[in-house]
Amino acid sequence: MKLNAKDIASGAFLVLLAVIGLWLNQEHALGSARRMGPGYMPMLVFWVLFALGAMVLVLGLFSGPDPLEKWTGRDILALVLGVVVGAVVWKVAPGFGGFFENTYNAVGIGMMVGFLVACISRGWALIGFICAAMCFFSLLLEQGGLMLSLVGTILIACTAEREHLQRPLGVLGMIIFLLALSWWVFIKQLDIRVAVWPQF
Amino acid sequence: MDIFANLAHGFAVALSFQNLLFALIGALIGTAIGVLPGIGPVATISLLLPITFGQPATTAIIMLAGIYYGAQYGGSTTAILLNLPGEISSVVTTLEGYKMARNGRAGAALATSALGSFFAGSCATLLVAASGPVLTSVALSFGPADYFSLMLLGLIISAVLAQGSVLKSVAMVVTGVALGLVGTDVQTGQQRFTFGIPELSDGLGFAAVAMGMFGIAEIILNLEKPEARSVLKTKVDSLWLTKEEWKRATPSVLRGTLVGSVLGILPGGGASLSAFGSYMMERKISKGRHLFGQGAIEGVAGPEAANNAAAQTSFIPLLTLGIPSNAVMALMVGALIIQGIQPGPRMVEAQPDLFWGLIASMWIGNVMLLIINLPMIGMWVKLLQVPYKFLYPAILVFCSIGSYSINNNVFDVYMTVVFAVFGVMCAKLKMEPAPLLIGFVLGPMMEEHLRRAMLLSRGDPMVFVQRPISATMLAIAAVALIAMLMPNLRKGKEAAMAG
Repeated sequence: MKLNAKDIASGAFLVLLAVIGLWLNQEHALGSARRMGPGYMPMLVFWVLFALGAMVLVLGLFSGPDPLEKWTGRDILALVLGVVVGAVVWKVAPGFGGFFENTYNAVGIGMMVGFLVACISRGWALIGFICAAMCFFSLLLEQGGLMLSLVGTILIACTAEREHLQRPLGVLGMIIFLLALSWWVFIKQLDIRVAVWPQF
Repeated sequence: MDIFANLAHGFAVALSFQNLLFALIGALIGTAIGVLPGIGPVATISLLLPITFGQPATTAIIMLAGIYYGAQYGGSTTAILLNLPGEISSVVTTLEGYKMARNGRAGAALATSALGSFFAGSCATLLVAASGPVLTSVALSFGPADYFSLMLLGLIISAVLAQGSVLKSVAMVVTGVALGLVGTDVQTGQQRFTFGIPELSDGLGFAAVAMGMFGIAEIILNLEKPEARSVLKTKVDSLWLTKEEWKRATPSVLRGTLVGSVLGILPGGGASLSAFGSYMMERKISKGRHLFGQGAIEGVAGPEAANNAAAQTSFIPLLTLGIPSNAVMALMVGALIIQGIQPGPRMVEAQPDLFWGLIASMWIGNVMLLIINLPMIGMWVKLLQVPYKFLYPAILVFCSIGSYSINNNVFDVYMTVVFAVFGVMCAKLKMEPAPLLIGFVLGPMMEEHLRRAMLLSRGDPMVFVQRPISATMLAIAAVALIAMLMPNLRKGKEAAMAG
C-alpha cells in the first residue's frame, strides 16, 4: 500500500467538517423538497461533502506516497501548549475586568498568546509570529490608536524573518515608511473612522 | 449600430477624471505586483477590496480590473529578465523569454510581450463588447433550474481545470459552498451556523476569507521558501524589433489572441491556462518551432498575447451571467455584492455605466499599460530589487487595517487570522484554495435558485433534466467530470500545468 498522507489528512478533515455540519444542522427545520426549510440545503451540501471526503480518504490509501512534512516532538509540544495556554488565557482574561471585558479582547489576547507560545518550535514560528502580529493590531487598535498598534504589529512581523534581526536600522526605516503610507492612504484619503493616537 | 452608441457612452464614463485616475492606479498597482514575485492579483485584489467600499461601483471595478490585466503585463518583465515568473501566467514566458534575454534580445522580448499583450487586449475587449448583449439576452430566458445547472457546470469545470487532483478540487468547491451557508437564511430569517455571534448573521466576511487564504497565508508560505531572486545582470538594449522578428511574432500573436480569448471564457480557465495552451500550440505549429529552447520569439509572443486576451474575456461570464470563472472573478463578484449590485444578466441593462464603462476602460487601461511598460521599463527593473522581507510587512499592515475597516470591527481581523491558518493548512495538504472561493461566492445564489426551481416544479427534481437548457448544462458537466477520469486526458492536463 502506498499511503498518500496528504490526501488521507485532507479526507479526514473534510469528513470531520461534514459530520460537524450535519450535527449542527439538526436544529434547523428541513422542510420538504417543494418548500425547503433552512436545513435542506445544508443537509445536501454536508452529505455531498461527506461523500467526497470519504472518497478522498479511501483513494489516498493507494495514490501515494506523498508524506506530510516531518513533525518533531517539539512541534507537537508547541502546538498543544499553544492551544492550551491560548484557551486558558481566553477563559481567564475577562476576570481581570476593564480592557479584557470589552468586545473581542479576551479572544484576541488568547489567540495572540497561543500563537506566540507555538513559536517555541521552529516549525510554527512563521505562522505564529505573523498571526500574533495581526492579533496584536486588533487588540491595541481601538485604545492604542493606529500608530502605536502598527509599530507593534510590524515589530512582531519582522521577528519572523531572521535577517531583520541583524539590521534594526532597516526595520526602523520600514516602520516610518509604513506608518506614513498607512496614514496617507487610510486616514488622509479614505478617512476610515479610527483613532490615530492613543486614547486615554 | 447600437454597440457603437453604447461604446461611446462607455468611453464617456471611462474618460471621467476619477475613472481615468483609478484605471491608471489599477494599471500601476497591477504592473507592480506583476513584476514582484510572491504577490499576485488574487492577494492584491482581496486586500484592496475594503478600500473600494467608499468608491462608486464603476470606479471600483475599473480599478480592480486594471490590477488583473496589469499583472499580465508586469509578470512578463520578471519572466524575461530574471527567469522567474512574476505571475503564474508567465511561467511559460520564462522558457523562451529568458533565453532571448541571454542572447542579448531582452529589449525585443519585452517589446514583443507588451505589444502582443496590447493587441490581444484590444481584440478581447471588442469581443467582450460584442458578446455581452447577445449572451445577456440568451441568459434572460433562463429559469431558476437553468441557473442552478449553469452554476453547477461552472463550479465543476473550474474544479476540473484547477491545478492538482480533480476530486479534491470538487471537495474544495463544496467546502466553499458550506462556508457560504453561514449566516441568516434568506427566506425564514433563521440563523444558521452562527454560534450566536452577531457578526456572523450576515455570513462570513468575504474579504476576511479572501484576505486570510490568499493574502496572509501566502506571506507565511513565501517566507518558508528561501528567497531565490538572483541579482539582475541582463542589460535592456533597444526595444525595437528587427524586420524578421516582426514577421515571426505577428502570426503567433494572432494565434495567441484566439486561444486566449476562447480559454479565458471557460470557467476555471483564465490567464495561466491560456498561456500554457498557446505555448503548446506554438511549439507544435509555428514556423520557428525548431528554434524552441534557444530563445524563439514565437514562444514569447503567443503566450503573452494569450494571457492578456484571457484576462479580458474572463469577464464575459461574470458580466453577462453573473458567474465567476476564476478566483479573481469571484473577488469581483464580492466587490459588486458589497456595492449592492447583484451580478447577473440584468446588469447590462440596469448598470450600463458599469458594463460599458468597464469595457471602455479596459481598452484605455491597455493603452496606459503599453506606456507604463515600455518606455518606463527601467523603473520596474528597479522595483525588482526590493526584497520580499520588506514587502511582507507592508502586505500585513494593509490586510490588518483593511480587514478592520470593512465594518470598523476587530472581529473581521480575527476572522482573517483564522482563515490564514486554514489557508496554510490547505496549502500543506495540497488543497487548492481558488475553487473554495468560487464555491463560497456561488453557494448562496445556488441555494436560492434551487429553492425557487423546486418550488416551481412542486418538489419534482426531474425539472433539472426536463428543461433543455438545464439538461444540456448537466450533460456537459458530467462529460467534463468523466473525461478527467480518463488517464490520457488527465496526463495531458498534468503536463500542461507543469509547463
